Amino acid sequence: MKLNALKLAGMLLLPGAAMLLGSSIASAASGDIPDLNGVWQWGRCVNGGPGISCMLLEEDDARLTGRAKALRDALDEAAAPKYDCAPMSIPHMWTDPYSHQIEQFDDRVVFSYGKDDVVRTAWLPNSDHQKPKANEYFYFGDSTARYEDGALIVETSHFTFDPQGLNADFRLASSTQKHVTERYTREGDDLVLEVTTTDTFFLKEPWVYKVKSVRDPEELALPWDCNQEGARDILKLMAPKYPNDPPIVRLPE
Amino acid sequence: MTHTKQIFTGLVAGLALAAVTLPAIAHHSTNGIYDQAVEVELTGKVKAWKFINPHPSLTLTVVDEKGEAHDWDVSYGGSAVAHLKRRGYGADTFKPGDELKVKGHPALVKEAYGLLMEGGNPTHADGTPWALTPPAR
Repeated sequence: MKLNALKLAGMLLLPGAAMLLGSSIASAASGDIPDLNGVWQWGRCVNGGPGISCMLLEEDDARLTGRAKALRDALDEAAAPKYDCAPMSIPHMWTDPYSHQIEQFDDRVVFSYGKDDVVRTAWLPNSDHQKPKANEYFYFGDSTARYEDGALIVETSHFTFDPQGLNADFRLASSTQKHVTERYTREGDDLVLEVTTTDTFFLKEPWVYKVKSVRDPEELALPWDCNQEGARDILKLMAPKYPNDPPIVRLPE
Repeated sequence: MTHTKQIFTGLVAGLALAAVTLPAIAHHSTNGIYDQAVEVELTGKVKAWKFINPHPSLTLTVVDEKGEAHDWDVSYGGSAVAHLKRRGYGADTFKPGDELKVKGHPALVKEAYGLLMEGGNPTHADGTPWALTPPAR
């Protein structure tokens, strides 16, 4: 249980930690580079709905394709990876109420999240990051970044197929064709994030929303140390979608 | 229903729920699991308190009107350890045998004995507040 969480954290953390040795935090806030460094609270919608609604695709959202709805109806939520302490990927991850930290370096920007020990690295043009091969896919995709007109733009593709890639609760999947663009800017003391998601398999049109965050005076509460047994607790409250199937047998630790 | 007390249903409960369950909605793990039109109040003894991620959980042994004991899984919705720490909770907040009263929405699967607690905190059985010590900020 804990071993799995540690393995996951290690896979996500070690590459970023190793790179820390060779670079220093960039001096941001100069020219076209906005100062995004620091810990930021969970973002709330600026447009597209109140509170957090802009970040949630409804299960019958008009932007969903027929495939998305067919798959939604077939998926059993009890089989979702979130119940085994697996993190959610972007863009759905931003709906969870946790702070995140941004660190700007000369060759990359590192995003750490207050849940599931998630660390993402977005590589700037002067890095030696190699573009993945066409058939290489990653849970958080492959991210590149650039500064443009006072904004940080992060482009991410090469995602694995993800049964909860657009919404974990409504079983809205995302495909290998998912592409997420993040545009970070400063608005006074606030951080503004605009997210554009495309996925030609599951979305008829781009899904765009904008959220605003304020600084969080506290550090991220890490490690997350997810308890798998605890994560699965709620499954006993769910009516089985396929009651005639044999009971689920988990792989041994 | 085997719940000890059904307080009220309908619009009032719905409005109250909308006001207090934003974290639960945000974590999207409680949709379609709890009956948001029904509110119940339970009094029982703590069987277990697990201060863990992704969600701390409280197991309360409640004796129903037939004299049968059931273990209720009381959920704080989408709240994690970090969220409850800010509200003054810790690993030692409850001990087995503590007598508590909680209010919330029961699971749709009645045999499962689950409760999504409302936005407040458990109280002592007589309704007085349970002592919590939020950290100084």
